[in-house]
Amino acid sequence: MSKKKIATVWLGGCSGCHMSLLDIDERILEVAQLADIVKCPIVDGKEFPEVDIALVEGAITSDEHLKEILHIRKQSKILISLGDCAIMTNVTGMRNYFNLKDVLETSYVGSISNDDAGEMPNHWALLKLKDKVYPLQEIVEVDYSIPGCPPSADAIFYVLSELLNDRIPDLSEAKKMKHG
Amino acid sequence: MAKLTLQIDGKTIETESGRTILEVCKENDIHILTMCHLKGITDVGACRLCLVEIEGVSKLLSACTTKIADKMVVRTDTEKIKRYQRITTELFAAERNHVCSVCIANGHCELQKLAYDVKMDHIRYPYLFPQCEVDTSHPLYVLDHNRCIVCTRCVRVCAEVEGAYNWDVMNRGTNVRVISDFNTPWGESVTCTDCGKCVEACPTGALWPKAVVQGQLNKAPQMISELIEKRKMKL
Ligand code: SF4
Ligand code: SF4
Ligand code: SF4
Ligand code: FES
Repeated sequence: MSKKKIATVWLGGCSGCHMSLLDIDERILEVAQLADIVKCPIVDGKEFPEVDIALVEGAITSDEHLKEILHIRKQSKILISLGDCAIMTNVTGMRNYFNLKDVLETSYVGSISNDDAGEMPNHWALLKLKDKVYPLQEIVEVDYSIPGCPPSADAIFYVLSELLNDRIPDLSEAKKMKHG
Repeated sequence: MAKLTLQIDGKTIETESGRTILEVCKENDIHILTMCHLKGITDVGACRLCLVEIEGVSKLLSACTTKIADKMVVRTDTEKIKRYQRITTELFAAERNHVCSVCIANGHCELQKLAYDVKMDHIRYPYLFPQCEVDTSHPLYVLDHNRCIVCTRCVRVCAEVEGAYNWDVMNRGTNVRVISDFNTPWGESVTCTDCGKCVEACPTGALWPKAVVQGQLNKAPQMISELIEKRKMKL
């Protein structure tokens, strides 16, 4: 059996889900026996390759994320929403109750920690925020969700090991699932 | 009281008339999911979680507001009921803003517990992201509409147990809001006695004491039920 390919990516999130992924500790060796991790945020910035399993942390907050998630969906056999931001926007989506201009002004101009010359960032190299933050499932088809902020390392390992052994993970037991 | 016999999930039960399906289920260790029900206060059938199937009745009916009848055949555990319970839970989560990770009730919340019970791993409906207010005007407590599921437990507890009638419900549909007095800040209420019963009764992070920090919230809704029982005692 040829080794499967896994890629992980970090969109609009805090990287906490990836920390939980690292928390699977030595079990990463079991994963490495069955799969190659061909891309992850700490490795490199190359284009998202064709993979069997994509673990996606974070919500869609910008034009860049949108482009990326559409590309990831095309490249991945199985796409997993990793964590609450990917599943339901979570903290990232708390700006959805306000309009974007007010949000930016509050952060960059009005904030008390700013000096007098606060201005909105608009360098060409920066990503452009979308008006609203979207959970992955509103943009692309998602195959599995691992909830939690962050999800537990046990849940992440469980899902990976089931999929790598060609079984269908069932997170429905409360001890594997974690809300908040 | 007249005796009657009914069947719930295949179990034959003999009991007195005049009681609800939910009461009889609880007595017989038949577990039904509930949210708006709080033992001792009037049931209103608001949350639709306790739906049951009754033979010969085409609609699902709420166990907390439906009285038992002789020869009734009730089912509480069908696939259809489970499907509806999951839908209801998802709609609770999608309607307001439930950001568990930064919520005062995280880890101590009846809605979270419900999400585990119905095995909810994600929500299939679009989030509404409504702009909701947080009323911090009361010296002791906070009302956060972001987390309210409009179960009205607070409204009924305040009226029926404390007798203060501070809370009411305004508007319809997604605009529905719990209000203090005539939709004025809670801190300006002329009816609220600061007793805190609504806070204990609230199943979510919508009502909470200011003295509590995240992770330390520990509500005791059963205290309300006990209080009601104790008041019936003649010493
Ligand atoms: S009220 Fe409960 S379900 Fe809602 S955000 Fe708070 S902890 Fe989560
Ligand atoms: S604190 Fe007591 S009196 Fe005030 S609103 Fe709550 S239940 Fe009513
Ligand atoms: S504030 Fe709490 S008790 Fe009152 S309706 Fe909302 S969720 Fe229910
Ligand atoms: S508990 Fe019966 S409808 Fe809410």
